[in-house]
Amino acid sequence: MFENRAIGLALVLPAAIFAAALFLLPVGILLSEAFRTDTGWSVSAYGEFFASSRNQTVFFRTLKLASLVAGVSAVVGYAAAFAIVNLPASSRGRMFGLVTLPLMISPVARTYAWLVILGRTGFVNKFLVDLGITDTPLRILFTETAVFIGLLQLFLPLMIISLVSAMENMPRDAVPAARILGANWLQVFWRVILPLTREGLVIGGTLVFTGSMTAYITPAILGGSKVLMLETLLYQRVTVANDFVSASVIAMILITMSFSANLLLKRLATARKSR
Amino acid sequence: MKTLVLAGASTLALTAAAMAADKTLTISVYSFSQDEFKELVYDPFEEICGCEIVVETGNSIERLSKIEANKDAPVIDMAVLSTHDALGAARKGLLQPIDTSKLSNFDKLYDIAKDPLGDSMGVGYTFYATSIAYRSDKVTVESWADLLSPELAGNVALPDITTNQGPPALYMIGKALGDTDSSLTAPIDAVAEKADDIVTFYVRSSQLAQLMQQEEIWAAPVGRFAWGSFKDNGLPMAWAEPKEGQTGGMNVMVMTANNGNEDLALQFMDFWLSTEIQTALANALIDSPANAEVVVSDDIAANLTYGAETVDQLHLLDPATILDMRESWLEQWNAKVMK
Amino acid sequence: MNSRLSTWIILGLTLTFLIGPFLIIIAAALSAGNNLAFPPQGLSLKWFIKVFEVESFRASFGVSMFLAIFGTLAALVLGVPAAYAMTRYRVPGAETVKLIVSSPIIVPGIIVGLALLQYFVIPIGAGIGPALFLAHTALILPYAVRVVSASMENLRVDMEEAALLLGCTRFGAFRRVVLPNIRGGLLAAFILGFVTSFNQVPVSLFLSGPGLRTLPIDMIAYMEINYDPSVAALSALLAFMSVGIVFAAERFIGLSRYV
Repeated sequence: MFENRAIGLALVLPAAIFAAALFLLPVGILLSEAFRTDTGWSVSAYGEFFASSRNQTVFFRTLKLASLVAGVSAVVGYAAAFAIVNLPASSRGRMFGLVTLPLMISPVARTYAWLVILGRTGFVNKFLVDLGITDTPLRILFTETAVFIGLLQLFLPLMIISLVSAMENMPRDAVPAARILGANWLQVFWRVILPLTREGLVIGGTLVFTGSMTAYITPAILGGSKVLMLETLLYQRVTVANDFVSASVIAMILITMSFSANLLLKRLATARKSR
Repeated sequence: MKTLVLAGASTLALTAAAMAADKTLTISVYSFSQDEFKELVYDPFEEICGCEIVVETGNSIERLSKIEANKDAPVIDMAVLSTHDALGAARKGLLQPIDTSKLSNFDKLYDIAKDPLGDSMGVGYTFYATSIAYRSDKVTVESWADLLSPELAGNVALPDITTNQGPPALYMIGKALGDTDSSLTAPIDAVAEKADDIVTFYVRSSQLAQLMQQEEIWAAPVGRFAWGSFKDNGLPMAWAEPKEGQTGGMNVMVMTANNGNEDLALQFMDFWLSTEIQTALANALIDSPANAEVVVSDDIAANLTYGAETVDQLHLLDPATILDMRESWLEQWNAKVMK
Repeated sequence: MNSRLSTWIILGLTLTFLIGPFLIIIAAALSAGNNLAFPPQGLSLKWFIKVFEVESFRASFGVSMFLAIFGTLAALVLGVPAAYAMTRYRVPGAETVKLIVSSPIIVPGIIVGLALLQYFVIPIGAGIGPALFLAHTALILPYAVRVVSASMENLRVDMEEAALLLGCTRFGAFRRVVLPNIRGGLLAAFILGFVTSFNQVPVSLFLSGPGLRTLPIDMIAYMEINYDPSVAALSALLAFMSVGIVFAAERFIGLSRYV
């Protein structure tokens, strides 16, 4: 560690000034937009925003879909992560790579794939009709189901990664020991795996939850104007009505959510270090 | 790869370049049929003027908010908009009057296209009928009310209230239901009741091509300008002639205020309004002519909104009405349909 | 139940869900027909060729490449000194600085784009191009700082001290000792930044202007109008590109050690 504070400061300043000027300042002004009125400062814009039944619907839909995606990805993620950790070391790395592969691919391409698959003449409907499960093709696109499927695929890898790293830190004998002692699988999960991987679950859960809350392309393409979420509503308010007050309120909601999630993560990380 | 990166760099520098070189014309147009427009309008004009045309696309309202955002340092020189959006822009002081004495083709236009906004704030360059495009093998559409019929439940898209097609389509649904009040309360209530049966509320007509092709929908109200993108999609498509009649609209060219590029913009407008270009656009089934001297074959005419009589028969909403009522429509729509 | 079997069933289903859609996209892109469909109608490469013929794709690909390469380089130019200072010096208010520099990750992209357009581009009259570049740089900065810091932390300070004792200047020690040793970290940061910027949509959503669009935004606009397999072909090509880059990086520098 070098002691010269001036040099240190000089080295970090360009990056800090850059981020502050281009980032914090404009975003700060945007956030203040909802509090500024002709006569002074007020929080009335928030009341007005939530007074609209459409805005309420969009807000709760966003919360609902984000929680659902986080919940389902936790269930699937546990199964997949447990399977990966139990693979022989040689194939474990390869499998991990395959699971994380989608993260590297353009979200537009990923969402586009679902547009093809979930469409009325798409793969899923063809399959369902051929099997005789349904007579007429189902309407999946432009529903919450389509958005849910798209988001789940987008963010499931994050949950799996978090859970795999958590499980790798689990004592190797914990699960076999519990089994020998006569615990069934449900008990093993509840009493052994869950407590030992809680941290990974929280990390994965926050990543998936905030990711789903702030996703744009998936609700835009798979949901359309009938299944608006907060991000698509923001875009619509600005482009259609030049409504920066609503944009500011939505921005505040989204930033508060992401920020608290991030804070939570940091809290957890420091708790682990000090243990 | 290297050339592409260089191309990217030059495109990035373009906004700056556009201000430096006066031989650049920046226009803002609908995203429809851009390949054809490039071939029939932009490329030939670039050759004549020795300038470069930079194109921004999007729907009326998106592009309008960008013009408004940049009003102190206009990026766009000329734009084409719907009559009511143009009127709105004029009221906000975003436009300047067009010096029609410099348009050699001005006298050839239909009378209603000459000054639809007043004060020469806009010149009409095309009309369109709006009716319902539908799959003739699945349904028959004879009335605007059919859009909400059980046969089409789950197979129909409607224009969003914020689009140009939205209010006229709702007005016609209202007419079919026997209520032509400009509050649009009756049709909005009717749509709200059937909201679950509507696949989506589209925001750009260009989206419909995909929805039809993918068989997500069998019918949608749409402007005639979009007909070209359906009629050859390999599916049996038909254009409805509802008993309540067809609605529609006019699009106008406008000049942004203080753009400093007025001469080139006027030259481009004049070129676009010329009999030659209006005929070419008509023959390509892109835009119905506003130039009365355009003559097309019966075959082509059948696919367009052609001739003064046809235009007179359209049930058009008054641009001022649209502008004044829009807030209240949007409010009702959000409260009832989007809830 | 056989636990090996259930392991493979679970993984098979998960991978089908995660990767299956791409296989379908690739198959659909190979179609000889004019409509997007699975299974494809005949086999042909014509849609892959079409991708290269669409003029707007070429232009927007150039824009995206430029942003991804030079935006990431700019972020490294800003980020490496910051990362160096934060791991080597006692910087006053280091926590605040860290928070400021990492803020672009926390704020949703669409808000960044909108805020930059409304309160930076328009008041200053900066133009969309430079704003897009600055926005992408800001977006990559947190990754650059984080990844480079991590690799500097692994580098022992006494090596630098030895170089200083042997008469190197501070900068000389940085150039001769630190830089060569964090090469892997730099490359990892570059790749991460490149992929992040290239795939970025929300930031660029508001920051697009006449004749200026990033590739993903252009794809969205194209597929709205044309429902042909060329977007599928382009998606497949982009997927191969990203995966290829990441795979090569994993091979040669062990990317996952840094991320």
